[in-house]
Amino acid sequence: MAIKEVIQTINQMQADGVIECYAIGGAVGATFYLEPVATLDVDIFAGFKSEPGSLIVSPQPVFDYLKARGGTVEGEYIMIGGWPVRFLPPGTPLVEEALKESVTKEVDGTPARIFTAEHLAAIALQTGRAKDKARLLQFVEAGALDAARFQAIVARHGLLDAWRRFERQFLSDTG
Amino acid sequence: MSLDLQKILESKRALRRNLAARPVAEKLRMLDALRERELAIRGGAGHCGSSAPREEPAAYETKAKN
Repeated sequence: MAIKEVIQTINQMQADGVIECYAIGGAVGATFYLEPVATLDVDIFAGFKSEPGSLIVSPQPVFDYLKARGGTVEGEYIMIGGWPVRFLPPGTPLVEEALKESVTKEVDGTPARIFTAEHLAAIALQTGRAKDKARLLQFVEAGALDAARFQAIVARHGLLDAWRRFERQFLSDTG
Repeated sequence: MSLDLQKILESKRALRRNLAARPVAEKLRMLDALRERELAIRGGAGHCGSSAPREEPAAYETKAKN
């Protein structure tokens, strides 16, 4: 079981032209900036190519490519290197921007595309589950965010109210 | 043994800082190990079995309509 195998497979998939671009999000993406926190799956955001003769963008070629290389599909996940991997299109303007501005980081010589810390934090604020709020708090407490950049993303994507609520709930000294 | 909460909290913060500062490859290996442990605790399959536990997916898409 190895996340590095997931990264290598996706790099190869991109090199083979199956996807245009990708970036790792979620808990695995956050691990590039924070301490590791247990997670059960890997979220990959990808720009899918449209099929020949069609304007419709589909993740089907990704599944076909991986199945042909021994991957097994389980619901919305495909198993790579023992990890359930979910391929997601950039479904919101925030995620679209995060994918566009993602960065390359090296893992033992293997390049990996990752969302920036500020985008990961803003996406956690937007999705808003308890575990997302915990992750956002981790980013803040670890001092892993460029405050000006994060504030600009929050403002640009209509998340100012959500951020104020979060600040009141978790970052206020008076509780 | 004394229960000095401040000391315990500071020690935890130091541990977290130390973990966060480790090389990425090492942190990803920790994720692999954490998942193995999580699966063992949950009693799920430790391999690609369909009974492997899943997390509640984040609603990345639904927020687009807000």
